[in-house]
Amino acid sequence: MVPRVWSLMRFLIKGSVAGGAVYLVYDQELLGPSDKSQAVLQRAEEVVPPAMYQLSQYVCEQTGLKMPQLPAPPKLNFHFRDTWNSGILTVMSALSVAPSKAREYSRDGWEYLKERIK
Amino acid sequence: MSDSELGRKWDQCMADAVVKIGTGFGLGLVFSLTFFKRRMWPLAFGSGMGLGMAYSNCQHDFQAPYLLHGKYDKEQEQ
Repeated sequence: MVPRVWSLMRFLIKGSVAGGAVYLVYDQELLGPSDKSQAVLQRAEEVVPPAMYQLSQYVCEQTGLKMPQLPAPPKLNFHFRDTWNSGILTVMSALSVAPSKAREYSRDGWEYLKERIK
Repeated sequence: MSDSELGRKWDQCMADAVVKIGTGFGLGLVFSLTFFKRRMWPLAFGSGMGLGMAYSNCQHDFQAPYLLHGKYDKEQEQ
């Protein structure tokens, strides 16, 4: 009797957790149109870092530990276009100066070798 | 399509892909832990579903200005 009740309780708890996750996804429209996803990311960027900070403060107060200064949280609202454009510009400028830099480094290396051989 | 609009659509696509793949992975993780005995396949299935949905949304967004919506005119038959 008790194991049966316990297995039923376990199934209900698991079902509640899974059902809650599905409802959360449905309520927040995470699998909806693409403009809603961008709004979700912006909302997450506003909400998540202060929540993490408050949680760390609460843990410090409860346990008495002193948390070290954590690095800044990563940016959630990522602009792919700006990063891609700046990446392309960096690569192209590196390619354009590559021959002159190679000549300069090889000349410096040759001078260094001549100094060492003397 | 202008360059700024194209860039805006790419940004939207990337954000959408991140959210959908993450959501699919998260749902797969929940179901793997609760019902499927910590197997790997719900994670892969959820991530794949999210990726497919994001790809479909992106494809629709990029094709949207060029799609023609026709209407069948019954009067032509008479």
